[in-house]
Amino acid sequence: MLPALAFYGFVVVIPTAQSLSYSMYRWDGVGVPTWVGVQNYVAFATDPVVIQAFQHTLVMVAFFALVPIALGLVSAALLSRARVRGSGFFRSVIFLPQVLTTVVIAVIWRQLFSFDGVVNRALDVVGLGHLAQPWLGSFTFALPVLGLAGTWTTMGLCMLLFLSGVGNIPTELYDAARVDGAGVVREFFAVTLPGLVPQISVALTLTLIAAIRVFDIVWLTTRGGPGTASITPAVLLYTQAFTAQDIGSAAAIGVTLAVFSLAVAIVIARVTDRATS
Amino acid sequence: MIGRGERTFNYAVLLIFSLIVLVPAAVLVVAALSPYTSGQADLRNLTWSNFSTAWTAAQFPRHLMTSITISVVVVVVVLVVTPLAGYALSIMQIPGHQALFVLFLAGIMIPLEGIIVPMYFTMRSTPLGGTIGALIIAHIGLNISFGVFWMRATYRAIPRALLESAQLDGAGPFRIFTRVAVPLTSPAMVTLGILTFMWTWNDYFLAFVLISDPDRLPITVALGEFANKYTNSYNLMSAAALLVALPIVVLYVFFQRHFIDGILSGALKG
Repeated sequence: MLPALAFYGFVVVIPTAQSLSYSMYRWDGVGVPTWVGVQNYVAFATDPVVIQAFQHTLVMVAFFALVPIALGLVSAALLSRARVRGSGFFRSVIFLPQVLTTVVIAVIWRQLFSFDGVVNRALDVVGLGHLAQPWLGSFTFALPVLGLAGTWTTMGLCMLLFLSGVGNIPTELYDAARVDGAGVVREFFAVTLPGLVPQISVALTLTLIAAIRVFDIVWLTTRGGPGTASITPAVLLYTQAFTAQDIGSAAAIGVTLAVFSLAVAIVIARVTDRATS
Repeated sequence: MIGRGERTFNYAVLLIFSLIVLVPAAVLVVAALSPYTSGQADLRNLTWSNFSTAWTAAQFPRHLMTSITISVVVVVVVLVVTPLAGYALSIMQIPGHQALFVLFLAGIMIPLEGIIVPMYFTMRSTPLGGTIGALIIAHIGLNISFGVFWMRATYRAIPRALLESAQLDGAGPFRIFTRVAVPLTSPAMVTLGILTFMWTWNDYFLAFVLISDPDRLPITVALGEFANKYTNSYNLMSAAALLVALPIVVLYVFFQRHFIDGILSGALKG
């Protein structure tokens, strides 16, 4: 018990408390910190770059959470009658992105979307060559293209979660729905969807928190650019702390991200409890 | 029963999703074997030397050793420490076990970003600052929550009768732990070990922040630096990326059940 508590206390519990206190000071990491109260929070709530970064989080939510969950549900609906749990080979392939490190995914994405990359060449082949561009250098497309990397990563997780959830829904419910003459769509809304509430809640929690935390894929491809077109709160936290030496506001961003993550987890747990009881 | 047409349709759906995953991965493999810096496919001139070029240019052996050291130490410590804590919280039910469990559970929900800034300065103020030791301690601390939570759930599933009969035989808590609890739960420990290994090996952010000495970087951060240096050599970059992904992918091929079921059920129990 004690060794676990010691590591955990040193690495997680104490820094959590320190984060709160750091966020109340102005500090450059070297000199003497000055107490500024909630000023760091006020300052960043009015900083256009911070606001932009949090708006980008909403875009990431769509790509990391909503699209993969929608795709997962579609696959669960399509496959629920067969009740395949994503047999063998397919299961392994679809889950693969979950075990790859983001650095590798970043290399794949740079390669796919570079100026003479696969996407542009494919556009050329189908006669849409005029759309070809350096995607990650685009003010409009850099963010959604990075979002797609998130979709690619979390899609398999959502799909397998839902397929295994469908496997736990009693067969009688499906038989009853069919006796009642329910089609695929009715069956999905009457049986599959209600039966998947716990899995949807887990998928939402995991993917929303992933969307709130996006750092690696952005840092390894665009560093938040061009300009600040693909900046995320975590990237901003890093540059505030280690480039701008503004430790207080970096800690304030960290605390905000933590509060958002906790809020997401708690709200989803509450809603799920209500829906299943 | 489902008909033949339906079965074909199901496989078509699975196939489409598999292709979405496989095409980008295949692009990486093809690029890694391409003779051109653009990474353009040329299957008649497979250039295996990209791997050896990347291996040398990125100083792979050094970073590989760093990653192996970090991951192995973290896995060993986590596998010793979290079963003990999980046991104390479930079977022994030490005083305050519920409050302690909530404390550990909170760690699963607090994102690294919320603690990274003070963690960096605390580590810097210790003699371990900037070393692999600091990184190892940070990884262990961050893996404790999941480990405790996972092992506690595992021990709770042990039939009470087994524990009681051991108790009647006069075994103390520690003896029950080593003779009953651990042997019964070795598959769960293998899963925990594999997941911990993967999370530690795949980490980028933590190492990126805590380690600044280019010679001490684990392989993921080293790959990031390499990709920035060879930003126009997609073939070398892809070869290096494949080398970084390889150990985990090989583990994945052999232990898929542990990976998939571990992540899915770990997520659900949360």
